[in-house]
Amino acid sequence: MSDFSSSSHGPNGFRVAVVAAGIVSPLGLGLEETLRSLRVGKDSVAPVEAFAVDRCRCQTAGQVPDAALAEASQYHRHPGRLHRVARMMILALKEAMAQTDDFEPELTVMGTTSGGMTFGEQYYRGLKEKQPSSRSAPTLIANYPPQKPVMDAQEAFGIGAPCQIIANACASGTNAIGHAFNCVRSGRYQRILTGGYDAISELVFVGFDSLQASTPERCRPFDSERSGMVLGEGAAVLALENLETAKKRGASILAEIIGYGISTDNFHLTQPDPSGNGARRAMEGALRSAGISPAEIDYINAHGTATPFNDAAEGKAIAELFNGVPVSSTKGMMGHSLGAAGAIEAIICILALRHQLLPPNINFRRGDSGLDLNIIANQSATGRVRTVLSNSFGFGGTNASVILRSIAA
Amino acid sequence: MSLRIAGMGWVTPLGSGVDEIWNRLRNGETAIAETISNPLGGGYPVFRVPPSATAGAPTHPRLRRSSAISRFAVVAGLEALANAGVKLDPEIANRTALILAVSNGGVIYTKRFYHEIVESGAQAASPLLFPETVFNAPASHLAAILGLTGVSYTLVGDGAVGMLALKMAEDLMDSDTFDYCLVVGAEEADWLLCDAYRKWRLLRSTAPIEPFQEPPRGMILSEGAGAILLGRSGRVQIERIAGGTNFHQQKEADEALDKVFSELCQPPPDLVAASANGTFIDQAEKGAIGKHSPNATVYAVKGALGESVGASSLWQTILAAQALTRQQLPGFPEPAALHSAVVSACGLNQQIAGLRLRI
Repeated sequence: MSDFSSSSHGPNGFRVAVVAAGIVSPLGLGLEETLRSLRVGKDSVAPVEAFAVDRCRCQTAGQVPDAALAEASQYHRHPGRLHRVARMMILALKEAMAQTDDFEPELTVMGTTSGGMTFGEQYYRGLKEKQPSSRSAPTLIANYPPQKPVMDAQEAFGIGAPCQIIANACASGTNAIGHAFNCVRSGRYQRILTGGYDAISELVFVGFDSLQASTPERCRPFDSERSGMVLGEGAAVLALENLETAKKRGASILAEIIGYGISTDNFHLTQPDPSGNGARRAMEGALRSAGISPAEIDYINAHGTATPFNDAAEGKAIAELFNGVPVSSTKGMMGHSLGAAGAIEAIICILALRHQLLPPNINFRRGDSGLDLNIIANQSATGRVRTVLSNSFGFGGTNASVILRSIAA
Repeated sequence: MSLRIAGMGWVTPLGSGVDEIWNRLRNGETAIAETISNPLGGGYPVFRVPPSATAGAPTHPRLRRSSAISRFAVVAGLEALANAGVKLDPEIANRTALILAVSNGGVIYTKRFYHEIVESGAQAASPLLFPETVFNAPASHLAAILGLTGVSYTLVGDGAVGMLALKMAEDLMDSDTFDYCLVVGAEEADWLLCDAYRKWRLLRSTAPIEPFQEPPRGMILSEGAGAILLGRSGRVQIERIAGGTNFHQQKEADEALDKVFSELCQPPPDLVAASANGTFIDQAEKGAIGKHSPNATVYAVKGALGESVGASSLWQTILAAQALTRQQLPGFPEPAALHSAVVSACGLNQQIAGLRLRI
């Protein structure tokens, strides 16, 4: 188990503030719309429109309508070249940058799983069906690489920070936030942009379908009759800053990040360790990094994909570590947005902290008898929410947890 | 903090093993291009890793169905640990981080998987292939083989991604949580990539790559892996890593490289291990070298080994570290007085970074 809690800069290091955040997801564009969706438990999962799914078991996903992304065109000099996920990144970054003046990041750390995969798909289909034209091919190729949406978003707003793009499967977004947190906490950086992004693509959609990890039914995290995940998409950006520096310049502070844990369980390329050991070590690492006890956690935003294996392993680890803490997976509402999920869910945690909100775990009918969990079933609730933990676990046995706290706590 | 190179591993079209490849380079050998066929017609020159180079890979269940990129990463990673004399018992494994840098990743399985979807429909897509398409599959296999249970990150980017991974490693190693960080850059070649780079007008039709030639005639893709074990002891010190910047159009690469070189060339180094690969990069890099270290010896290893994208800046760093340690350079029969080196990493898709070594 590795974390930074024993850093040479002292057990606590420098405090790390979230000074701005932007979000684009099937739940809506922006913090306000997302909050409204969380409050009503909006189910945004709908039939897939972007490609044919008639030969897949699962035929639904959480999707961001193209029309909602049109605004991104006005911020980039080559709008015709922008991938959908680049448009999501631009809008998320725009919202974040509007909240904080003078935020010049020294580094950008983002998470993704597939970046501009649909451009790669178009290129390959073009080869098979008709040669891509000499005009379109270079555009598809140049915009396919996974880092490109971040480059496009930074270019749109004149940001020149070097970009470290973490592709740790479904834990990517939380890994990005966690690494960025450690970099500011250590004192090596004052300001970092972080977050995650991914868009629905045919290859990834069929991939999860081929593994029978996705469901033809509703996504029911932690339910005894859960049958799998549905995919989602989106982008989320968080601006992190040394808390003292942020205070000195009068920045508004949304929340504080206080802990991060990561583990690699080596059990299997696609399946979590059924003992829950990998998940547990990530959560324990985050608690140790934060210097707090499990009893101080008021809400857990679970990875909760609704696959039988994930929820059993994660639920077991949560039940062993925490005593009746309210838990929900928000993936039932919007699907699993892979590399964006950890970042989107971190922002959901910030909204929970700021509005004393417990987001709902929708489509929940009956608890799993093997899991002793306090699920926030179907409807949002209010309660005392000062410290929250968010989990993300991914292919490759990579597990990550991050802890956020209300700045007033 | 003193960040040093504790060990290195190298898998290239000239074989595997740092000493073996170094000796071949010193003997003037260059990789031999073979033609990779496009099933839709035509072919492309490419530098492939010979099967013998990965024959020493462990017989681990994780490698049974893995793609070539994972085998390259594992062989290079194991060599770097052996080179440093580090045995990863559970305690040391707990204090070792892993960062894997890739650009195109497991493209062979990705193409096969998508080909099945296109040709036969979604219902025919193999669940055995999909897991190997994820970017972090090679890192997962390497972590499992080494028994690493803590930090494991896969970084994606262009030809500068290896340098960005070293920068990330420097940030991790600032904490006393870690004794070592194993940084591996890996890539595998495929006709689909060659086709894409050809249409991007960056690939040339015949070998060799001619770095710094005007006009630039293009590069040839390569494959393999480079691994560097960072620790706190070792002969070669990493003095500084420039985290880099981005350029949004090719003509802006000059300015971005100027920024990186101005950060690394005080004082001017004895050696510049350049990323020149026969494309627009070369002239931008030539300008920065001429301005910031006009008297340095310049060596571009891609002329001998090809453009391995995700592995390339690790290869350049290994080359530079070898040159400092041996006081020699390929192509220079006499010993050279080399005390410092700058490694320049200019990618083809907007990312630039670099580092400075000393001995």
